[in-house]
Amino acid sequence: MAGVSMKDIKLRIRSMESTKHITKAMEMVAASKLRRAEESAKRTRPYFQLMYDTAGDIAAQDSEFSSPYILPREVKRKLYVIIAGDRGLAGGYNHNVLKLFEEDRGDDPVTVLPIGKKALETMAAHNENIWSDSYPLAAELSISDSFTMAKGICSAFLKGEFDEVSLVYTSFESMLTQTPKLIKLLPLDRDIGKSRKKDSASVTIYEPDGETVFNRIIPEYLGGVVFGALCESEASEQAARRNAMDSATKNAEEMIEDLSLKYNRARQGAITQEITEIVAGAGA
Amino acid sequence: MANTFKLRIATLDGQIFDGEAEKLLVRTIDGDVCILPGHISYVTALGMGEARVYVNGEIKRAACIGGLLTVSKDEVRLVPTTFEWAENIDLERAERARAAAEQALKERADRSNYEITAAEARLKRALVRSSVAKYL
Repeated sequence: MAGVSMKDIKLRIRSMESTKHITKAMEMVAASKLRRAEESAKRTRPYFQLMYDTAGDIAAQDSEFSSPYILPREVKRKLYVIIAGDRGLAGGYNHNVLKLFEEDRGDDPVTVLPIGKKALETMAAHNENIWSDSYPLAAELSISDSFTMAKGICSAFLKGEFDEVSLVYTSFESMLTQTPKLIKLLPLDRDIGKSRKKDSASVTIYEPDGETVFNRIIPEYLGGVVFGALCESEASEQAARRNAMDSATKNAEEMIEDLSLKYNRARQGAITQEITEIVAGAGA
Repeated sequence: MANTFKLRIATLDGQIFDGEAEKLLVRTIDGDVCILPGHISYVTALGMGEARVYVNGEIKRAACIGGLLTVSKDEVRLVPTTFEWAENIDLERAERARAAAEQALKERADRSNYEITAAEARLKRALVRSSVAKYL
């Protein structure tokens, strides 16, 4: 009887060990990818920040012209750009970002633009209105892809297909914290600039004129923001996966330790029993 | 009056310049403009062309494409889509891109509108890059 359970335990230890190997390998792959992703996320940040501030400043100052990009409209149709990962096993990464979307969307029908395989799959499974499924792989999206996408979004917005455009992504705060975030892309939020201090007397010249400048800048701005968000999300995904795999490896180690203890006890028990039997046999 | 102004240049590849400059010359969608210290608040969109940054009496040249330029009281921000210093431009690559784009435009009959616009844009970018790099 002890022999059977010993064999069982041995098998479980072995399977645990191979699981540990896999999680360990995944952790290391994620860690090396993370380094690169983190670098590119850090590289895009100054651009992201400068673009965001500038667009906000212009929107807040704007008085003599009325670009359709700034005018708030009655919101009937919303578009959500959702950036999630291409693969699972990354802890709560995909779940958290999709949950944020679910919370914000409300009950009205919305249109989504999923980026990343997991986002696309989930949206398709929920029967959401998918605007375009041409971005299935988040990791393969280039700068020019995000600019093309931004142009598409802008022209759809100008045509009135959407009244509001939001972006859901995961911001990479540190190795240990990644927060899902939602930002309104269009119409441009006038409050971004207003909250920042500035001298009210300043008059800004727009050349050739405000509207032309704005219509040129907004697609660029969107493309930049989308690409920046993509880099942040990519870094977050790798960090989330690294953490998830790290704890999976630790759990596997704990279980192996526990099982080894049980195995040794069972072995000891079997030996004791054998000796007892031999002694009993010799005594008889 | 100060004879320099604070200039910041950032692209998707990171912060490229952050410091004091005496003069900045860029090509906007309406033509070249030159920014000197004490300029009034100003916003414009960038075209495709050469940018010159004057720092400590030296002229730094670069290929600067797309994006925007803002001048405020505190600082000048240049946020282009691409910005490459002349010495970093890969001339061979630019020439190759130019040849490929020209080839694509020659066969315009069997290309879609989108492909033609993309090729034209590539050609313009390649021309800017190679002209900036050659002048070095």
